[in-house]
Amino acid sequence: MPDFRDHAHLPNLRPDREPPHPSWLPRQEVGISPQMVGRYPDFDVLSAADTWDEATKSVVMARLKDPAPLRFFTPDQEPTLRAFCDTVMAQDVEPRVPVAEFVDDKLAAGRLDGYQYADMPDDRDTWRLVLHGLDHTARTRYGAAGFAEADPENRETIVDDLAHAHLDGGPWEELNIARAWSVCMRAILAGFYSHPWAWNEIGFGGPAYPRGFMRLGPLSTTEPFERHGSTSEDPVDAVHQGLGHG
Amino acid sequence: MADRLRGLLKGAIGPSDNDSRYLLDVHSRELPGEDTMRQYAPGEEVDLVIVGAGAGGSVLAQRLARHGWNIVILEAGPFWHPDEDWVSDEAGSHELYWTQNRIIGGADPIELGKNNSGRGVGGSMVHYAGYTPRFHPSDFSTLTDDGVGADWPINYEDLRPHYEQVEAELPVAGQNWPWGHPHRYPFSPHPISGAAARLWEGAHKLGIEMRVGPVGIVNGTFGNRPHCIYRGYCLQGCKVNAKASPYVTHLPDALAHAVEIRANCMAARVEVDQATGRATGVVYHDEVGGAEILQRARFVAIAGYSIETPRLLLNSISSRFPHGLCNDEDQVGRYIMVQGASQTTGRFPDELRMYKAPPPEVSSEQFYETDLSRGFARGFSIQTVSPLPIGWAEHVLADGHWGRAMREYMRDYNHWATIGVLNELLPQPENRITIAEPIDPYGIPIARMDYSLCENDKSNIAHSTEVITDILHAADAQDVLTIYRYAHLVGGARMGSSPQASVVDANQRSWAVPNLFVADGSVCPTQGSANPALTIMALASRLAARMASGAAMDDDPLARAGTGTRQAATPQHARSRSS
Repeated sequence: MPDFRDHAHLPNLRPDREPPHPSWLPRQEVGISPQMVGRYPDFDVLSAADTWDEATKSVVMARLKDPAPLRFFTPDQEPTLRAFCDTVMAQDVEPRVPVAEFVDDKLAAGRLDGYQYADMPDDRDTWRLVLHGLDHTARTRYGAAGFAEADPENRETIVDDLAHAHLDGGPWEELNIARAWSVCMRAILAGFYSHPWAWNEIGFGGPAYPRGFMRLGPLSTTEPFERHGSTSEDPVDAVHQGLGHG
Repeated sequence: MADRLRGLLKGAIGPSDNDSRYLLDVHSRELPGEDTMRQYAPGEEVDLVIVGAGAGGSVLAQRLARHGWNIVILEAGPFWHPDEDWVSDEAGSHELYWTQNRIIGGADPIELGKNNSGRGVGGSMVHYAGYTPRFHPSDFSTLTDDGVGADWPINYEDLRPHYEQVEAELPVAGQNWPWGHPHRYPFSPHPISGAAARLWEGAHKLGIEMRVGPVGIVNGTFGNRPHCIYRGYCLQGCKVNAKASPYVTHLPDALAHAVEIRANCMAARVEVDQATGRATGVVYHDEVGGAEILQRARFVAIAGYSIETPRLLLNSISSRFPHGLCNDEDQVGRYIMVQGASQTTGRFPDELRMYKAPPPEVSSEQFYETDLSRGFARGFSIQTVSPLPIGWAEHVLADGHWGRAMREYMRDYNHWATIGVLNELLPQPENRITIAEPIDPYGIPIARMDYSLCENDKSNIAHSTEVITDILHAADAQDVLTIYRYAHLVGGARMGSSPQASVVDANQRSWAVPNLFVADGSVCPTQGSANPALTIMALASRLAARMASGAAMDDDPLARAGTGTRQAATPQHARSRSS
């Protein structure tokens, strides 16, 4: 049975710097989390949505609508975009946070971040080049039709090389790869961790106006609507199998 | 007895000559006066036109309006309606930031946008965390005392009364402050979160002194401004009106005293009479594709912050100033500074939920001044912070994690507490704003910012990051993640004692144009390791007092050169340099 006071699951402290397979985690019991895994199976941040102010509620709830068709990326680019977003956020099954749609909407609306590296193209062109480069590497290195068609392990290897700026040839020659990784990840992380499903996964209390938070610690940090990290094992089974804390 | 009396009165005494706290509405976050503010007729010459409604411009306007000046503020961004415009959400707060394009270069390019650049009425303080420390007396003479940086043409005592006044206006809450020039705060310290307590414990074990605050966040009530509700979204704009920004601390009073704010108005250039060399006003656009409009004024003050102020000057080209306004000596845009802002985050067995309470909680200025045993000049401060999920995901990414490892760390979010530093990075001439080729939607060329660290900067960053990592280990953190980053902006149009080495004089009046002032953080010759908001406001407060009295127009060369350098050269300071 997992003990969240322990730190054995943290990648930096493991020999391969890889986390355990998500199967060690409980299934989400209330609400939705990405891939239905999480640490707070009986916490649904949306249970407090009626306490949010109207402006915040409309912004957050809009993320739960069915995703609209892509506007910025072309049908040719779409499979690569989706495979890239799935790989970097480890979203291998439904339900998925619609990260590709978030990125597409940001770029289509021109909501850029307010700076552009002198040795880099516009962020929109950076995205196009990265997708092109991922296809290029998948083709030349693995003989796949494109990045989306490559095996999941090969896709992860390519992304790892992107994260370490170990790619070259083709479109990569036009990019400072470390900066391109940063441009892409800024948008992807903002898309994933702005979604209430991700807040369920991590146990984040979410918006708190006008209600506010009253339990700051040190004795308790949990509001009435929040839940502690927990597992979904049947406690009876856990005791029978000798997995409990006694 | 005096201490007991001060304790009783803590939080009870408000500032005079600023009614902003009473003008605010208890039930609405609108800036009162938007609909009823005075509107000056087009073509009417006002006393003062200010570019930028942020920390500097707003304080200057409020003060001089109280002296009867007719003032127009041009603000590039919108007039906020916080009830509708601001949200308790990271990604939904994009519009608070200056996201118009800028080019970043140099060996260590600085990320801008949400990191350090605001846009809209209230400026960057709308989304600053809330830390409001003073500069130390040592900040004003680092060249004389430490052999690095620059000397200011003024000294701490010139700013001290304005620090005290602005602290009463924000109002600042914090413990009695032992560092720099020791002082008290008008409001009691806030309660701290479990996450901050864990960090403080680690620092305590290492013998590092920390104190609660100082933050510009109401603890109690302040006029019609309520107590903080500890929801944690300080960086997304305070929907409570508890956190100080000019939007609630100075602009209500300014609008009640005949100041007009023209929002969504982008300044294009300062107009100069080619015969007299005096500024006649500011040319601006009130919409994309709109015609140029000239707001005439007796005085012009630029308060667009360290990137937009130099950009406006450099784009103000005329036959008299072919290289940009005030730039005959090639000083405009130089010596821009950011602070190193590495953060480390530590893992603890208990759920700490760092998203609760304001991100700024506890800080230390124990390492602020030069200690040559550390191997570099000047120092750093330590401050607890508490990133929300997207911010913390960037932190995890910076430690080298993505995919399943990213998800694993993020699921652990509630167990982590984060602490950061602010390094005093040194002013360097090649760290500068220039004009880039691309144009913005108004047709105005955009800014380019180049930044490169010097060896002293790198040593400072490396050492300070070790110190906060040690704090986490002393607190028994189970795992530690580190991100190297930067924060804040100052410099770019610095004040100094000669036109060859600065843009403005000791009164923040430009050397080249007699009725042109710079009223923002770009005038700072050094930055200490204090967050700049309070100092920017105090400088504007001092500038206003001197403009109102006429002292700022003093043409005496000694008055323009200021007193700071002369006082810094006393034997006492000379001794400390050799020690």
